[in-house]
Amino acid sequence: MKLARLYGDLQALLFTLPALVPLVLFWFFPLGYVICLSFMEWDFMSPEKVFVGFDNYRNLLANPNFYDSLRVTVLFCLGSVVPIIVAGLLLALLLNRKLGGGAVYRTLMFSPWVTPTVAVSIVWSWIYEPDVGLANNALQAVGIEGIRWLEDPNWALVGVLLVTVWKSAGWSMIFYLVAINNVPSDLLEAAELDGASPWRKLLNVTLPLISPTTFFLVIVQTIQALQAYDQINVLTQGGPAGSTRTLLYLYYQSAFTSFEIGEASSIAITLILGCVALSLLSFFMGRRTVHYT
Amino acid sequence: MHHLRRLGVLARHATLAAAAILMAFPFYWMASSALKTNDEIWQFPPTLWPQTALWSNFAEAWAAAPFTRYLLNSVFVAGAIGVLQIVNSGMMAYALTHMKFRLKGLFTSAILVGYMVPATATYLPSYVVLGKLQLLNSYGGLILSNCVSVFSIFLIRQAFLQVSHELVEAGKIDGASHFRVLWTILLPLTRSSFAVLALITFIEQYNNYFWPMLITKDPNLQLVSAGLRGFFVEGGAYGLKWPLIMAASAMTIAPLIILFVFTQKTIIRSVNLSAGASKG
Repeated sequence: MKLARLYGDLQALLFTLPALVPLVLFWFFPLGYVICLSFMEWDFMSPEKVFVGFDNYRNLLANPNFYDSLRVTVLFCLGSVVPIIVAGLLLALLLNRKLGGGAVYRTLMFSPWVTPTVAVSIVWSWIYEPDVGLANNALQAVGIEGIRWLEDPNWALVGVLLVTVWKSAGWSMIFYLVAINNVPSDLLEAAELDGASPWRKLLNVTLPLISPTTFFLVIVQTIQALQAYDQINVLTQGGPAGSTRTLLYLYYQSAFTSFEIGEASSIAITLILGCVALSLLSFFMGRRTVHYT
Repeated sequence: MHHLRRLGVLARHATLAAAAILMAFPFYWMASSALKTNDEIWQFPPTLWPQTALWSNFAEAWAAAPFTRYLLNSVFVAGAIGVLQIVNSGMMAYALTHMKFRLKGLFTSAILVGYMVPATATYLPSYVVLGKLQLLNSYGGLILSNCVSVFSIFLIRQAFLQVSHELVEAGKIDGASHFRVLWTILLPLTRSSFAVLALITFIEQYNNYFWPMLITKDPNLQLVSAGLRGFFVEGGAYGLKWPLIMAASAMTIAPLIILFVFTQKTIIRSVNLSAGASKG
């Protein structure tokens, strides 16, 4: 009996190993390692790492760049998550009921999500070209003076956010289409019999019933926003004047351009804590407050 | 009443058409800009479609940088990662759902923890690990470091949980090994989840930029996104040769648009599945 159990364990090991080895090498070990590195001073090159206790964290908290990037990160999250969800919901509501040609709209609006962020960001940087770019041409056509999109610290973040929202709005639309389809039609009919207007039906039946989707999208999109890199790297590289430097970009710069491994690691820990907190929130709060059917 | 409804449908069509055109316009603009001469592209106001379409821009852009190589690198690396993820996610998910062993609970929660940690935050330590393994600047490094995905394991686990235990037990009683059960019972029943996994992984890895760019400095190993970005910065001299840059971007995007058109149903179904997977 004992032998049989051991045999079962060995077989299970065989089945888990192909995923477990890379998972440990590139996921769990690095996680522990980055925690250690956040207490060290190191520059990638020197053979010695010096233990410095909480110095990296103390320096980070004293660094004005950290607070700036924290502010940019919050703006980036709000400025991408809210429009992505609102646009996705509106488009899904418009597309939902049977409509000739609906599939064509759906395809067109979902297509940005499939394409490489780097390539489409390059296309957008051409659209943002200050002198003859499409964006400024469109603005001038309606009598607004052009903007130096990516060179103006007041507008660069807006430029990056537009690309981000453009890329993901269709994705959240698809989620909402599925969710709205799953709203039981007898509930809607019952509301109609009670004389509810379409607006009331939306507000009191559909929206509450699709709240799990909204909740899911908020969490996933926030985690995505915290990790956004490609479009920032192509469009602004964190500039001008740090106006698009998110926490992740600060982490990247301190790790791979200024080689302050300790500082970078402490930023990584901040990011990890943020994401873990969000995931836990979705895990526990989600079950309690959100309406699941 | 009837007229009012017709008007409503018309208004919806108008709004949706406007939104769809707005969303797709960057692609149109890319294509039209790719066909312009360097003079026409600086013209004011811009022309919607070039006076004479300069198709040679595509050939010129393609020759200006080793794009064939970049593209093949991306397809090869993304394909290899897709195959590996199908194998290791399938096996891991099988162990988690249909095998009994010690530490099963620990494994499941470890993967759950992995799901919460943002991959980008571990790039720095992973880079050090890859350096220690002598795998920087190699196909091996590109493939191995991406060959497992917690999301993929979750996706397949979710699919396997739907398969009835009786079916699997019946197979075991008939004397089938675990491999046989996985291969002949579970895999055929969950084909669609594996299709989604393969497709999503391929798209993600083809598009991947940040991590591959960090670990490959050798231009011969660059994936298409990093190669395109390099061309944008150097070859295109930061936007002096916009038509060529747009042509190169179009050629990078085109394979994915084609893939998307043919596999739309599967990709859109992935949304359903990923919503399910995330609920654990």
